[in-house]
Order: sequence, then structure tokens, then C-alpha cells
Amino acid sequence: MKRLFIWLLLCSLSPLAQAFDLQQLSDQLARPEVIHGQFIQEKHLRALPQPLTSKGRFVLAKNHGLLWLLQTPLQQDYRITAQGIARRDGNAWQMLPNKSAGAEQNRLFLAVLQGDSSGLQRDFELSLSGEPQQWKLTLTPRSVLLKQVFNQINIDGGELVQRIELLETQGDSTVLRMLDATAAQPLSEAEQHDFAE
Amino acid sequence: MILPSERMLPRLFLILLLAVLALAGWQWRNGAPLSANLMELVPGTSPDALELIAEQRMQEPLNREVLVLVGHTDRQQAIALAQTLGEQWQASGLFDKVQWTLQADVPALRTQLLNGRLAMLSAADREQLIEQPQAFIQQRVQALFDPFSGFSLVPNQDDWLGLTGRIQNSQPQRGAIQFDIGSGALVADADGKSWVMLRARAQGNAFDMNLPLQVAELLQRSRDQASQAQGQLLAASGLLYAASGQQQASREITWVGGGATIGILMLLLLAFRRLRVWLAFVPVLVGMLFGAVACVALFGRMHVMTLVLGSSLIGVAVDYPLHYLSKSWSLKPWRSWPALRLTLPGLSLSLATTCIGYLALAWTPFPALTQIAIFSAAGLVGAYLTAVCLLPALLKGADLRPAQWPLRLCECLLQIRQALLARVPTPVLLVLLLSFCAGGLWHLTTKNDIRQWIGTPQHLTDEARDIARITGFQPTSQFFLIRADDQPQLLERQTALNERLDQLIALEKLQGYLSLNQLVSPPADQQKVRQALARLPDFWQPLLDLGVPVAALQGELAQLQALPVTDIDAALAGPLAEPYRTLWLGPTTQGVAAMISLQGLNDAALLRVQAVDLPGVQLVDRLGDLNRVFAATQVSAAELKLASCVLIVLLLIWPFGVSAALRIVALPLLAALCSLASLGWLGQPLTLFSLFGLLLVTAIGVDYAILMREQIGGAAVSLLGTLLAAVTTWLSFGLLALSSTPAVSNFGLAVSLGLAFSFMLAPWVGRQEHPIPAQEDQR
Repeated sequence: MKRLFIWLLLCSLSPLAQAFDLQQLSDQLARPEVIHGQFIQEKHLRALPQPLTSKGRFVLAKNHGLLWLLQTPLQQDYRITAQGIARRDGNAWQMLPNKSAGAEQNRLFLAVLQGDSSGLQRDFELSLSGEPQQWKLTLTPRSVLLKQVFNQINIDGGELVQRIELLETQGDSTVLRMLDATAAQPLSEAEQHDFAE
Repeated sequence: MILPSERMLPRLFLILLLAVLALAGWQWRNGAPLSANLMELVPGTSPDALELIAEQRMQEPLNREVLVLVGHTDRQQAIALAQTLGEQWQASGLFDKVQWTLQADVPALRTQLLNGRLAMLSAADREQLIEQPQAFIQQRVQALFDPFSGFSLVPNQDDWLGLTGRIQNSQPQRGAIQFDIGSGALVADADGKSWVMLRARAQGNAFDMNLPLQVAELLQRSRDQASQAQGQLLAASGLLYAASGQQQASREITWVGGGATIGILMLLLLAFRRLRVWLAFVPVLVGMLFGAVACVALFGRMHVMTLVLGSSLIGVAVDYPLHYLSKSWSLKPWRSWPALRLTLPGLSLSLATTCIGYLALAWTPFPALTQIAIFSAAGLVGAYLTAVCLLPALLKGADLRPAQWPLRLCECLLQIRQALLARVPTPVLLVLLLSFCAGGLWHLTTKNDIRQWIGTPQHLTDEARDIARITGFQPTSQFFLIRADDQPQLLERQTALNERLDQLIALEKLQGYLSLNQLVSPPADQQKVRQALARLPDFWQPLLDLGVPVAALQGELAQLQALPVTDIDAALAGPLAEPYRTLWLGPTTQGVAAMISLQGLNDAALLRVQAVDLPGVQLVDRLGDLNRVFAATQVSAAELKLASCVLIVLLLIWPFGVSAALRIVALPLLAALCSLASLGWLGQPLTLFSLFGLLLVTAIGVDYAILMREQIGGAAVSLLGTLLAAVTTWLSFGLLALSSTPAVSNFGLAVSLGLAFSFMLAPWVGRQEHPIPAQEDQR
């Protein structure tokens, strides 16, 4: 009788245990130390027939930040760290002035890539569906201010983040696709140097 | 034996007293006519009306706004705490406006940016557009791909050229404050905490009597509440300084007034051994009443600092009854009216000389001292009238049997003096004294600073410094005032000044400035932008390559060409203009005027140089001006002092003759010199206030000299009278020296030192066989 009771209890709990929740997603995304990959960014502007497409490479390092290396149609390297955002100017990194709203947006960007759901929950209503290998996270802005900028942000992924879509209130949207992302490689010496500088 | 006139006097006086009381009641009908505004006390240095308006405009937020940083290690908790406190403050009813979020009106911002595309472009962006249109387009292309450029308020298709984004990015930084986009709060990170900015605008200003205390109380409650939530509050406001100043003033009035009162009452009881002699305190009370009524009648309000300094009058006012009460040692039996008759000439002379001394203060350009002079002179007249008209009637039939020990003490003192003079003759003593003075004067330093007027608690200045460090806001009290015939000229003149200020910033002598031409450029520059834009189609191929339709670019260009010239008034209407609005003074009788406010100044002297050769540009540096006025006034104070001495000599020639009159005045002057030297030996600086204190010493010291000179009842009795008068006066001025306001304490110290020397030197006045040589040299 007692055994049956425990069995029933376990049965009733198991659906909860199996559902893929935000905490699990966070843990999953926070696991890799370093992620290398390619990206394609498409900016869909309402007034343009075709999107503004740019391509490049990215390096996301858990304890350092993000290197965003734009390769076409123009070459430009960016670095986002806790200190702020920097742009490579010749051989040196140049910190960009800490524009309050811009800095906030970049904090969001980093939070999205690193799956820091607690950072996102502050500003957005989060809804997660799917399973660890194929999930979809929808962010709806909470504050009046964010609502004036974004309608919604959609993030799709499996082991890692695969696609980010930002829908702006003005009708423009940006799609970021991460390709060939891998957590296998450690930071190269040059990359370490870029983060250290 | 009482004269008929002496029967009438008390009644007449009582009628006068009732009238004054009625006047006082009428003056206080709407509450206490008190003021705590420090600026009412300092001289008006600028006769210029526009400058005054500008100054008030710049000071207004300091005196009305409270800036609070709500700190917590957790950003969310800090924001939540700021919200809770903000709501409580709003509900308190003390504030017009409590703000902890920035509620941006995005549509209005967009409109302003779009309409200001020609006028609001920064100088650097304008230059690039005009001189390097190729680079301008290149940067725009880059920005379109840049995922991190931050969101632009205006969508790309409304601004293909990206002018609004450039305007947005060139707006002056709000210090280290960041905008929390989720909550709308303004947050700065420092010391491991997030600090949320909360701003409240009080309903009244710092010069209300009650409001500052209420605000300080509310802040204290909020501090307690924050610390319960592991948070911390930092606050800065003129209101808090005012509250602390008021608390300090009332504490000091209690200390000085209460201490002097108790001391004097004890002294009276010890010396005269009759409780009835406490009636001698009635002139003091009446004196205070007269002083307050005269002050309010003349100035409309009375400053709390007048009250603090005025409470020292207690010790001077009680001297009048002491004059004739002390005759009870020689007059046996002592009867009030005859004793008064005997001392009346000396009493009247003493009133006249002391009043001259106080009223000399009234001629200085300092409203503070004028008030104190009027308060004191009126108070002394009141005390004198009471002592002469009313007190003898109250003391009628009093049988005074004073204690003998004070008399023996004075006899003893005189014997010591005789013994001393027998060994060391007066000229030698004088030489010794003068060398003491010379040495002290050698060490004397002067110091004049408005900050001496404020006894600011350390924790308030510390918090203000922390806030400046955390937020990066370091407002300075100096600012530039720019005048011009019209708006275009005004903006041109600002541009000329800003070029110089930019150099100071590059040299790190200045952190920043806010100027109207950062918001709107002169019409000529707007025209140049329009012309440069017309040439842009030659360079915009890269944009077309991206797929931007040529029709869209041409449409935008046509729209830009059609934008009207923006003037200052139009520019100030939009939400981005909020910080600039106070800077615009608008049309004046001679044209238009505006201000440029400054941040983080290191070297004030450098600023003055910046305005040189720039027409219509003027640096307004109230503190610097005041400090200069202070220094200049020292000279005129010394002149006043000499003038008051001449007046007193003239007054004294009539009863005493020329040589005695000179001697009576020379002694207090020597005492003042000794007091000055003592300040030097003590390492205390000579301030304007100590100098004014010494002015007073001359007046009161003359009083002692007269008492000694008259010798009614013998040398010992006269010395005793002087001693009693001096001790009571010391009590009140000595207590002032303990004040935490440097100016007040300096004043008290100088006066008490001077009085001590006056007392010690007083016996020399009456000893005809020991003439004091070379009186002229002692000045």
C-alpha cells in the first residue's frame, strides 16, 4: 500500500520533471565554455525590397563575452564585454561611448546568446516551448518603453542558439542565424588576446 | 526720596512697552517672521537685474530639489526600493514632483529629431557632412549593418541619411547615469552597488522655516526603511543644508542664550544674595523684544543668524542694571532711585558709546551685520529704558546686602596691580605689551571665505561628494552669462566661447558644459547644412548599392530642404530640450540672453580668462565675488572702526575733557590690538568677523573705561562693577565662541579676548599719576 502510494506520487510528479523549463534551458546554454560559429544577419527594412544581409564569424566565451567579426559586405570587428562595446580600429580596440539605451540593448543581446533567462525575465515575458534539442523561446516586452521599440523577440535553438528574430514596432525586423556553431574548440591565442586587451 | 518725574516714568514706560508688545503681536500674526536664507545676509554684489535673474534661475533647483541615490547590491531591489520611496514621497505632500523614472515620450522625441535634422546636428557631424560627404555616407552604410549601434528612435526609412541617429548620439552625456530600459529608471553602478536616481522637487524652497525640517525628517525615515531592506540612501539638497543650519541655530540659541542666562542669574544671586535681584534680568528680556521688533519692522524678517549673534546681547544688556546695583557695596543703605541718579550720566554715556560701536557695523555693506547692529542697538535702547524707567520702581524698597567677597577680591586685584606697578613701571609694561602685540601680529593670517558662514556637517558634504562621484554630475556655482542683440548673434557668441571651453576640457581643467548651441545651431550653420545636403546625391551611390530606392533618398532630400530654420524657442519645445530650458533667459531690454552651465571645474581663475575679448560674455562667480568683497570690506571695517572711535572721543570730550577722552578710547583700542595679537598667537585667522568683533570691543571697552574713570564709590567698587559687567558679557560672547559656524565662533572669540584685555587695561584710565605715553602709537 505504501509502495503504491509512492508510485502514484512519482507518476503525478513526472510530467513536471520532464517538461523543458527555463532553468534547464539556461543550464544547457551556459554549459559550453566557448562557442565558435558563423552568422548571417538579415535586416528587413520595410522600405527595401530585399534585406540588408551581412555575414561573419562569432566567438562567444562564457567568462569573457562576445567577438562579432563582420566579414561581408564590409569588414568590422566588434567586442561586447561587461565593460561595454568596443570596435576594432586598425589594430587597437576602441571602446564606444556608453550610450545608455544602446548599452542596455547589448546587455540583452548577450543575455539572449548566453541563455541568461534571469536577466531577460526582468524586461520580458518569457514563454518556452519544445524540448532540449528543439526549442523556441518567445520574449514579449513588459515595460512601456520596450514596447515602444520591440513587438517580440523569437529565439530558436537546439543544443545552442540557432536563430534570433527581433520584430520592431516600426515594422522592421532583424534575423540572426548562427551556423555551424561548435563548442569543441577552445579560445585561440589571438582570441584570448582580443578579450584580454 | 523719589522725584515726581520718577513716579511718572514707570507708567509712561509701561505704556511704551505695551505698544511694542502689541506691535510684536501684529508682526507675529502669521507665524514667526524668521528667515534662514543665507543669501539674505551677504552683500548684493551685482546691481545688474539680468544677472540676478540668471543667478536665481541657477540656484532655484539647488534650493528646491532633493537628489537621492537609492543603492542596493541588487539592481532590481534598488529599483523596487526607489519606487516604494518615490511613491511615499509623492504621498507626503511635501513635493510638487517626485521622479524616479524617465518617461520618454517616444513619438514626441521622433518628431523633434526629424524636425531638428538641420538645426540639431553637432558641430563635428556638420563638419563631416560639409567637408567629407564621402566618409559621411560610408559611416551611414556601416551603421546600417552594425548590430550594436543601439536602437534608433527614428526608423531607417524615415531617415536614410541617419541624421537623427547622429543627433541622438551627440547629445551631452548624462554623467555616469544609465537608462534602465526595462523600468525606465536612471541607474549608476559604483562601489558594488546599483544606485537609482530619485529626484524630488519641494513645494517651497530651502528658506521656508518648516519645509527643510520636514524633508530632513522624511529622508531619515526613508533611510531607516532602506537600511532595513539592506539598501542605502545618499542625498544632496540645499534643503538638507538649510535643515541642518536651522537645527544648529536653534541648538546654539538655546546654548548661548540659556547658558548666558543661567550664568548671569547665578552670578547675581551669588553677589547680591537676594532672589529679588533677578528682576535685573527684566531689561534683558525687554531688550530682546525691542531688538526683534525693530529688526522685523526694518527688514520684514529676522534671520536666524541674527538671533544667534543677538543672543549674546544678554550679557551686554544686563550691564545697565549692574551699573547701579554694584553701588550697593558703597551706598549704605542702597536705595534704587538715588543709586540710579548717581549713575545715570555714566549709564547714558555707556549706552551712547556702545550704540555707536554697534551702529558702525550697520554701515558695512553686509546685510547680516546691519541686522545685528539694528537688533543690538534697539535692544540696548530697550534695556536702557527699562533699567532707567522701570527697574528702580520694581526694586523700590529692596534691601541689598551684597556679599563682601567680590569686593575683597577686587581690592586684592588692585593691590596686586599696585605691587606690580611698584616693581615694573607702566612704560615698561606697555613696551612688553606692545612687543607681545607685535609678535602676535607677525603670526596673524587672514582668511575670507563665504564657507565660514555655514557650519556644514561633514556627513552632508561627504554624501554630496559621493553623489557627484557616482553620478558624474559636478555642478559648479560659476556660470557664463551671454548677451546678444538677437538669437543668431547669441548662438554665434556661444560658439566662440565653447571653442575655448573645449580646450579647457581637453586640458582636463573642466569636465563639461551645457550650452544652447549644443541643442540648436545658428541659422547660418543650418543654411550650410542645407547646402551640403544638396550636394549629397554625388556621393550616395553606396546607399543605392544596398538597394535603397533613389526615389526614397530624393524624397528625403526634398523634405530636408523644406525644413524651416529652427529658432531657440522652437528647439526648446521638444522633450530633448529639457536640460536646456533653464539656460534660456529669453528677450531682455537690450536683446536676448542665455547662460552656459559648467560641470567639474578644477580651476576657477581660468574661467575668468575665457571671457576676455568675447563681447557679451560674462562669467558670473558669486562665491568668488563675495570672497573678494569680504577682503575689500576688511579695509573699510578698519576705517569704520577709527571713525567710530573719533565719534566716541568727540562724545566724551564734553564730560571728561580732551586728554581723558583720548585715554578712555585709547585703552579699548589697545585691548583690540592685544586681542588681534592673541588671535595670531593662537593660530586663529583674522576674518572679517573677528574684525567686526573688535569693532564691538572698542565700544564695550569704552564702557568699562568710563566706569573706572568715574570712580563712584572708590576704585575697588568701580573695578567690581567693571568685573561684573565683564563677566556677564564674557559669558555670552564666550559661549558664541563654541558655535560650530566658523564665522560666529570667530566673532565670539575675538570679542571675548578683547573684553578680557579691556578689563585688564581699564584701571589705567583713572590713574592720573600714571599717564600712558605715546597714545597715538597704540592704534
